[in-house]
Amino acid sequence: MAEILRINMTDRTATYEEVPEKYQHLAGRGLTSTILYDEVDPTCHPLGPNNKLVFAPGLLTGSVAPTTARVSVGGKSPLTGTIKESNAGTGWGQQLARLGIKAIVVEGRPEEEGWWGLRVTKDGAEFFDADEYAGRSLYEMAPSVFERFGDRAGMMTIGVAGEKKMAMAGLCFNDRENRPSRYSGRGGLGAVAGSKGLKFIIVDDTDGPGVEMADKDLFDQGRKKMLNALRSHDITKPKGGLNTYGTAVLVNIINEAGAYPTRNFREGRFEEAAATSGEAIFEGNQERLGKELYNHACSPGCVIQCSNTWFDADGEEMVSCIEYESTWALGANCGIGDLDTIGKLIWQCNDLGIDTIEAGVVIGVAMDSGIAGFGDGEAAIKWLDEDIRQGTPLGHILGQGAEFTANAFGNERSPTVKGQGMPAYEPRAIKGIGMTYAISTMGADHTSGYTIAPEILAVGGDVDQFDVDKADLVRAFQQTTAFIDMSGHCLFIAFAILDIAEGFEGLVEECNGLLGTDWTGDDVTRIGQEILDKELAFNRTAGFTAADDRVPEFMRYEPLPPHDVTWDVPDETLDAVFKEA
Amino acid sequence: MSDRMTVEVWLYGPISRYGKEIDEELVQDRRVERSYAELHLRLPEGSTVAHLLDLLRLPPEEKGITFINGKLAAMPGVDTDRDVELHDGDRLGISHRRSMWPFQYRFGASLDETLKDSFRQRKDRGIHHAYTKPDE
Repeated sequence: MAEILRINMTDRTATYEEVPEKYQHLAGRGLTSTILYDEVDPTCHPLGPNNKLVFAPGLLTGSVAPTTARVSVGGKSPLTGTIKESNAGTGWGQQLARLGIKAIVVEGRPEEEGWWGLRVTKDGAEFFDADEYAGRSLYEMAPSVFERFGDRAGMMTIGVAGEKKMAMAGLCFNDRENRPSRYSGRGGLGAVAGSKGLKFIIVDDTDGPGVEMADKDLFDQGRKKMLNALRSHDITKPKGGLNTYGTAVLVNIINEAGAYPTRNFREGRFEEAAATSGEAIFEGNQERLGKELYNHACSPGCVIQCSNTWFDADGEEMVSCIEYESTWALGANCGIGDLDTIGKLIWQCNDLGIDTIEAGVVIGVAMDSGIAGFGDGEAAIKWLDEDIRQGTPLGHILGQGAEFTANAFGNERSPTVKGQGMPAYEPRAIKGIGMTYAISTMGADHTSGYTIAPEILAVGGDVDQFDVDKADLVRAFQQTTAFIDMSGHCLFIAFAILDIAEGFEGLVEECNGLLGTDWTGDDVTRIGQEILDKELAFNRTAGFTAADDRVPEFMRYEPLPPHDVTWDVPDETLDAVFKEA
Repeated sequence: MSDRMTVEVWLYGPISRYGKEIDEELVQDRRVERSYAELHLRLPEGSTVAHLLDLLRLPPEEKGITFINGKLAAMPGVDTDRDVELHDGDRLGISHRRSMWPFQYRFGASLDETLKDSFRQRKDRGIHHAYTKPDE
């Protein structure tokens, strides 16, 4: 029987609780958001004793369903002040699920100074003193952690940015090679862990009970359909778009579309974009290594395998992974057009424990504010490696995120929604993503609006992307995404199941097989909406209104080249997305 | 050369190699790297996308997502751009077949009118990620 592990950081006690009936069918984002809604006062200070940090593997995480190693982490965000769910792909989540743990709820706050780790095995949860690990480089520290706890352990940790309670600090998990490189990056949850003195959660599922299964035949039928969809779709198949070029396959496309935010969202096309793209990473590695290198899985059991590695001029590994959003944030958005500099900046982010997107948006805002010129890679490295690492006053300003930095330097050009930096798609040039940023419960978030098969979305009518009123479509995207985030599947399964209906059937059958439920396609949007309802209610009590569901004002009056477009989606359209929900 | 116009062409991914093969006489300027090519070409007035592809000797099965002046003009499986006439100063961006642009990241982006009409006529209204059949 699965359990909830409650960790009290005030007195460092750990208790196992039965899973309440109402949580039985929840997992991942569905469970993190529900526990926060049920237990956390939305008006609490994100770094105070009343905020909680909730870890929940997805419904299918830990099972043999393909590409299901996601773990969701929730808390009230110090970056946005909203509810937050940020998920990562890592074997850590699978191990937690196989230990029979549905969620870890971390609460309270120690009265004394110090750092603690928690180790969770089949025999229980125990604390250890983690002072010796504090203040260190994550790349330098990680091997000593695996030496102590064993190579097959899973590691969740925070870096110096989280220890210093910076709002762009993420939670770092290990990848398959035990690099400290997989992140629940967005929203500053690393600072919430830091505020509680929580440096680690180590998990080891050796001899654990595994994941319970109600109807294995149905589950197997579903996972085979999913596997076939992922293996046959152009985007997700072996040597397909993602496996060859990684998520950075989007660089040239979005740049050509005039929607690649450049120099802090001043332009929509970057002249050096092609040299920083997924194609350039693939060809550059081939040149440096003398062979083709396809991408690897970030976590066990992934068949999409989109995670890349960048090698330096000597053929030595520099960093993994250069995601689309990372090469954009630390590249075009800062006017930097060279992969080696971008690679060094991503390495710094991983080493310090910060979100690469927020870091790039912060650096873009800082450059836009005149602290250094656009394209000054040396300044950017110094801000990370010296200012943030040492915690100088400038480092603490930058570490609080893009909006804080813009305010500190009197710059109205803060490309944020609800305080969170926008990712790599310009809302003025791609209006749909702008709507997603504006109304997301998480602040500007490119992962909150994925589609499933149109025949499923078309509940009550045909889907038309050219309709004047797109609110219905945007709402359906949000519901779909919330469900996938609960399932434990990586969101990228959406690419395949939008086009291959059997893949979608597979998703529903996997869940029904595991839980013994009889969900249909309609339940996907219903359950998604129930998750969103709790997040919306949390945010409303925290003080958010429709006036917060907006893109920044400068985008309304500054035309974006090359299309010279401004943000012109009416507020009423944004407000309609959740009005009827 | 008064009957010629200048067109900027970007080729992304392995199709960058076709940037080397185009007739020297048509080339005003070019930069061909392993992962991309940037070409400034002098083409006869009235040239279409199909003419350009012939001059580049770019096989249709390698051509993927295509932009004309920042507007999406073709996707794998929806080749609506072939008869589009090019004009002086146009910019074309052509990706290899392997490239991708999932729907949620192009929802509300600029579309060439011909492609837009084609999407409007489809039952799915063009909200899929891919329009090719597996292994096509």
